Amino acid sequence: MKFVSNVFLYILLSAIAVIMVFPFLWMVINSFNSEENIFRIPPTLIPDKLFKKNMFENYVVVLRDYNFLRYALNSFIVATSAALGQIFTCSLAGFAFARMNFRGKNLIFSLLLMTMMVPVQVTIIPEFLLMMKLGWLDTFLPLIVPSFLVGSFGTFMYKEFFENVPKDLEDAAAIDGAGPFKMFFFVFFPLAKVQTVTLFIIAFMNNWNDLLRPVLYISSEKLMTITMALTQFQSEYEARWNYLLTGGVVAILPLLIVYMLLQRYVVEGMAHTGLKG
Amino acid sequence: MKKGFSWYKPWHGWIFLIPTLIGLFVFRIGPIIFAFFMSFTDWNIMLQPTWIGLDNYKELFTDPNFYQILLNTFEFSLIYVTGTMVFGLLLAVLVNSKIKGIKFFRTAYFTPVVTSAVAVGIIWSWILSPKYGLLNVILEKWFGVTPPSWLGDAKWALPTVAFVQTWKMMGYYMIIYLAGLQNIPSHLYEAARIDGASKFQSFWRITLPLLSPTTFFAFTIAIIDSFRNFEIIYTMTQGGPQYASTTLVYSVYVNAFVFYRMGYASAVAYVLLGVVGLITWINFLLKKYWVQRIY
Repeated sequence: MKFVSNVFLYILLSAIAVIMVFPFLWMVINSFNSEENIFRIPPTLIPDKLFKKNMFENYVVVLRDYNFLRYALNSFIVATSAALGQIFTCSLAGFAFARMNFRGKNLIFSLLLMTMMVPVQVTIIPEFLLMMKLGWLDTFLPLIVPSFLVGSFGTFMYKEFFENVPKDLEDAAAIDGAGPFKMFFFVFFPLAKVQTVTLFIIAFMNNWNDLLRPVLYISSEKLMTITMALTQFQSEYEARWNYLLTGGVVAILPLLIVYMLLQRYVVEGMAHTGLKG
Repeated sequence: MKKGFSWYKPWHGWIFLIPTLIGLFVFRIGPIIFAFFMSFTDWNIMLQPTWIGLDNYKELFTDPNFYQILLNTFEFSLIYVTGTMVFGLLLAVLVNSKIKGIKFFRTAYFTPVVTSAVAVGIIWSWILSPKYGLLNVILEKWFGVTPPSWLGDAKWALPTVAFVQTWKMMGYYMIIYLAGLQNIPSHLYEAARIDGASKFQSFWRITLPLLSPTTFFAFTIAIIDSFRNFEIIYTMTQGGPQYASTTLVYSVYVNAFVFYRMGYASAVAYVLLGVVGLITWINFLLKKYWVQRIY
């Protein structure tokens, strides 16, 4: 009886796994298809370039001729800078909220949490005008600076962690003569390794995947991020599905690798702190 | 420790908050206030803005397309919120079973969450494409039905996009529910079993009520999240055909950055803010009627 119900459970779990993973697999399969084979009806499960000499032709074309290597590098630069900024800003703020008492801190903290619910479309128009005034259009700055400077979930996560550090540690450091900056940089920040890794990954992913800001702020071809490049490619070469799907693989592969390797941080961090910051 | 000794002065706190304060006021609160005033002007970037009072709002509420957009927004949210909550819970119950290899399934179900909405939109556009798409080929060959052109048909475009976004995010709600399920003490289930309760009964009488704080959390996040649909719509339908899959969020983008009607778009954005605020407020008001307190 137990055996039968387990077999049934495995069948159900596997069926759902197919629904969740197959679309990605289908994309990978089609990235090894030639342009003729991809439009074959019925579709073939085995792509025609697989294990042939020109197996990676689509990837070579997409990465080199269509510049996707460049776009991936741009996304990497933007996402890394924004994520490092989040760590800097959020850890400082989380520390102040958790271990210091001063008037007005609760007000700032609630403002931070309240504005988290405001959709980005509400703030993006004034933000765009500001970036225009600053002369930052068509640079990476508007993609980096807004998420560099403020992050609700990151701050919340650091605050929770720092609140639970025993008071003894703080007192011991204070007796040794640590001022506020030593206290933060040498005593508290090094303790929050898990939080820092988690925030880095989540902020990196959010910025890598962002589409709205690149679409608004970037106009030069050489500064495009990978998500933006994909949508551009899609509207320009509507029928080049083999290249488009290959580009899609290039766009999600780095994140999937990070996810597989650092699953614990990604899943727990996201469940604990929410999606976007 | 001696009382009154302190390693910091109150103003040090503000120093630590400097980056956050700049970000908060320059990129959040400032723009929220500024957008409010902009919504009463006819600003289009090129010309000096003039104050036109409530004209933008009047135009909005007399435009039949706007009512369609509003309805689309609610329809998208309804599909997304119910979909992610129901399937999130079902998946969580499934992956909460203690059998070998369950970690693998959790990983698999969570995968779409970490991928970009753009890539997801492209994959599904391919699978759903009318002539060569895998889904339509299967439906025709195996089931003999004539499927619609999912993204090109005004009746199907919005539900299809909402479904894809739901598919993408289900795994996230699964993880939230899983954490909630694992917090329910197992002795409650044992006691219920001894009392002769069926599995279904203990799910209904123990799991669901004790899970209500988790459900509330998931619900709150799902509502806010259901308005984040710009990427998937931009990639899959561009709001079309006509306005069939345009939501408020997408309408702000089109009006502001395609038509450059910054003032009008700000008014749309404020309607969006009002809708999000109202729903969140109602959600918190109703909380006390269905969420159990757990100590």
